[in-house]
Amino acid sequence: MQDARAFVHPRRLAAIALAIVGVFVVLGVRLWDLQVVNGAHYRELAEQNRVVRVPITADRGIVYDRSGVVLARNQPGFAVSVIPVDLPRANENEVASRLAPLVERGSDEIVKAIAQQRERNPYEPVTVSSKPLPRETALLLVERAELYPGVRVTADSVRQYTSGPLYAPILGYTGPINEEELAERQGGSYLLQDVIGKTGIEWQYEKYLRGTLGWREIERDASLRELRTLALVPPRPGNDLVLTIDDKLQRLLNAELEKGVTEDRFTQAVGIAMDPQNGEILAMVSIPAYDNNAFIQGVTNTQMKAWISDNRHPLVNKAIGEIYPPGSTFKMVTGLSALSSGAATRNTVVNVSSNVLVVDGWRFYDWRVHGSLDFLNGFAHSSDIYFYTLGGGNPYTGQRGAGPDAIAKYGRMLGFGAPTGIDLPGEAGGIMPDPLWKFAKFDEPWTLGNTYHESIGQGFVAVTPLQLLNAYASVANGGTVYKPHLLKEVTYDGKTVVTPAPQVARKLEMRQEDLRLIREGARRVVTIGHAYMPNAKLPIAGKTGTAEFGESSGVDSAGRQRLGFHNWFVSFVPKEDNADPTARIAMVIFTFDSSRSLCDVCFNPAVAMTQHILEQYYGVADKK
Amino acid sequence: MSVRPIPMPQASSPLHAPPSVRRLLDLDWILLITTILLVGYGLVMGYSNTMEDRTFTGDVGQQLLRGILYAVIGFSVMAIVALVDHSWLGTFAPAIYIGTLALLTVVLVIGHSTLGATRWVTIAGFKFQPSEFAKVFMVIVLAKWFADRDVRNPLTLVGGLALLAAPVALVFRQPDLGTSLVFLGMFFGLAFVAGARLWHLAAIASAGVAVLPIVWSSLKAYQQARLTVFLDPYADPQGAGWNIIQSLIAVGSGALTGKGLTAGTQSPLGYLPIAESDFVFAGLAEDLGFVGAAILFVLFVVLLLSMLRVAYRSRDAFGANLAGGLAAMLAFQIVVNVGMAVSLMPVTGIPLPFISQGGSSLISICFALGALQAISMRPEQKAIS
Repeated sequence: MQDARAFVHPRRLAAIALAIVGVFVVLGVRLWDLQVVNGAHYRELAEQNRVVRVPITADRGIVYDRSGVVLARNQPGFAVSVIPVDLPRANENEVASRLAPLVERGSDEIVKAIAQQRERNPYEPVTVSSKPLPRETALLLVERAELYPGVRVTADSVRQYTSGPLYAPILGYTGPINEEELAERQGGSYLLQDVIGKTGIEWQYEKYLRGTLGWREIERDASLRELRTLALVPPRPGNDLVLTIDDKLQRLLNAELEKGVTEDRFTQAVGIAMDPQNGEILAMVSIPAYDNNAFIQGVTNTQMKAWISDNRHPLVNKAIGEIYPPGSTFKMVTGLSALSSGAATRNTVVNVSSNVLVVDGWRFYDWRVHGSLDFLNGFAHSSDIYFYTLGGGNPYTGQRGAGPDAIAKYGRMLGFGAPTGIDLPGEAGGIMPDPLWKFAKFDEPWTLGNTYHESIGQGFVAVTPLQLLNAYASVANGGTVYKPHLLKEVTYDGKTVVTPAPQVARKLEMRQEDLRLIREGARRVVTIGHAYMPNAKLPIAGKTGTAEFGESSGVDSAGRQRLGFHNWFVSFVPKEDNADPTARIAMVIFTFDSSRSLCDVCFNPAVAMTQHILEQYYGVADKK
Repeated sequence: MSVRPIPMPQASSPLHAPPSVRRLLDLDWILLITTILLVGYGLVMGYSNTMEDRTFTGDVGQQLLRGILYAVIGFSVMAIVALVDHSWLGTFAPAIYIGTLALLTVVLVIGHSTLGATRWVTIAGFKFQPSEFAKVFMVIVLAKWFADRDVRNPLTLVGGLALLAAPVALVFRQPDLGTSLVFLGMFFGLAFVAGARLWHLAAIASAGVAVLPIVWSSLKAYQQARLTVFLDPYADPQGAGWNIIQSLIAVGSGALTGKGLTAGTQSPLGYLPIAESDFVFAGLAEDLGFVGAAILFVLFVVLLLSMLRVAYRSRDAFGANLAGGLAAMLAFQIVVNVGMAVSLMPVTGIPLPFISQGGSSLISICFALGALQAISMRPEQKAIS
């Protein structure tokens, strides 16, 4: 029997039993020491253990125009938040229903917000008020604090945009941070209830505008009443931004364009003005726009759906976010390509003896019979056949053109086909086509017709208004392509913190005399009355353009007739009436679905508006 | 000539040795009652913790029902396992081993991540933690391994270690340092009970100490900090030491009789981390004081000694190894968990048997105790006369 049970080792089992009892005795002694001997001490520590750390949000920086006009600021008020750990679950519904009328929200929404915060981080307050509350409401909550366990009232401010739609395309808006954005910014400087720039300048310069969170350590008693502040790290407000925008010009431009839309001369419009000598954007208007204040109060679903389904794209900053055929304004590129590649000089003459050029049975029209034109007059009169010839040559006369590769090369040099790099999100790159591009995209060879269409800014080529303006600005300043920018300086407490230097994207590898020739031509566009400016007070130079694309029947979301007919005028103003690269302002105006006109000149509404705006801006307009 | 009954094989099928009322008399009643008391204690503490937890968003009643449901499942599993001859567990040990590895692999592939570790899989809406079952299953596998071989041969020990290597590696990958350590503690306890030579065990332990630096360097920084900070929690009171200090305050402030059920202040204010699992003992000591903790200790000691008694009375080596190994495993878990709460042991994240919330832990323990009852009900055959 003894042998049969050799597998049991009683002494070892006894040893284990002894060890178990021994260890529990040790643990018991340790517990006795902690709980009975030192129990009072630890109980005191537990009582003291009622310190909470609450964040204090920092005010976001203010945004000014270049002369100090406030564009975005913070409106003070009070916010109501709930710290879920301080609110017993049993009282949740009761407290929520008491809060609901005060913060003007449904009590189920409040309960939901608290429940979500309990899951995320119950030690951090969650804001339950959706807009700043008046002082009386705040006082009511503070005075009857016993009715509102876990509820806190804090000074809060809300973003306010002084001019709504006027600056919405530039400034964008802020909104509550979402889970993704929070995850990208792990590191503690953002809270769940935080606000973050969503688009525009608010997004672009989040790092400057956002301040640094402050913290307050509060000691509380057993019933969670706040006894005293133990430590306070004050928040640091965000830096202020001074934009290059000139509010006066912005308003002039906007008023003119709005008037045009009201009078049904066109349905959508873009206007941009910049300083060609450094790339500063002076004004940028995109119509129709949206009211960015709506996003601060919380956009309703209906409103959001309406904006998204609107085929005029009010949420897009059309100055940088949409691309259009440039029409005749692109003749500058064709001309510079021909001049720079040696295909033409200022003396190249084309005899436009018919208003149609027929090549291989295809007909390419001009808008009239011009007769014999040199470069200056070809540009000034905007002859299509002159620029067909400069772009693609003429197989009958044997005249050589620049060719699509040269046009693409100089077009890209001028900034087409790639974003300009402006300090705004959502910039489109446009299309600067060449034979390789066409082959890759359509698997078709490039034709002479493609070159002809491209030469007058039709066909595949597509630009943003900003690209077009920037290209003309580089010619106007004598050959420097700047990165357009909106940020003039970053300040804190009135002192300049950062002053970004103008950034040169590239220099044009072109002859100065060729650039001068374009400036001469652009001035001539106005002086010969092609762009008709009666009683002109300023030596405005510019180029008109007309582009036909898109739907030409039916109505848009505003019920306006769709014409598929759009006008450009891109201009610059030299200091004196000469061809020197001295312009301090360049402007582009694009009008969408303009009233149909037969020619490039007749009813281009952009020309008269440009004259009107610039003359008022410089204070030289006729008094009426 | 009278016909003599043919002696039945010891490892008989349930058909040869069917469960009968007579066997119930051989139930280990002390073990069973202690088990019931501990499960009940766990339910009460679960309720108290849920009530105190202001971060909890669900329905308290539902949470309690869930605990009761786990207990019912646990006792059902225990009953079923007790009815089957424990030898069958040995017979199926290879299959159990393969199943364990499969389960642990599945967690790594499709498991959920919480706090950086992947330990759970969801089956039919229930969160399921395979490593809890793996611990019990590996006791079965190793008990069988040692029962069938000469434990005094060092190769048997090395073979056992080799068997254990795969599950330890898989659990370590989750990463679950605590469960890996439980595996190792269980191995030594089991080998000791099975009769391995002491100097063999000592040699393995020294080899382990020798490779310690390598293991240490493979740990994540937070694991290293948790392992050492108990030596001096006040060196980093706001960081790694925070948990331990708050746990000590919770335990200490419970004093002799505690603050009362659901009246604890440490866990609801968030000072006690993972109050329902890793630091559950601190919450218990805060609510019920030294008296409550001492009652728990007594229950644990009675349970563990009963388990050792089952080992002593087992009719075969497999049963003895199984009972001894399970006792060693539970003892290791309890001591490490409680030791952690009172800052005598490093923080390793091992649940406290019965008290920590979690169906997987409770059901796997019930499975183990069912096996012990099966052993108890089939003692050494009385001499056949």
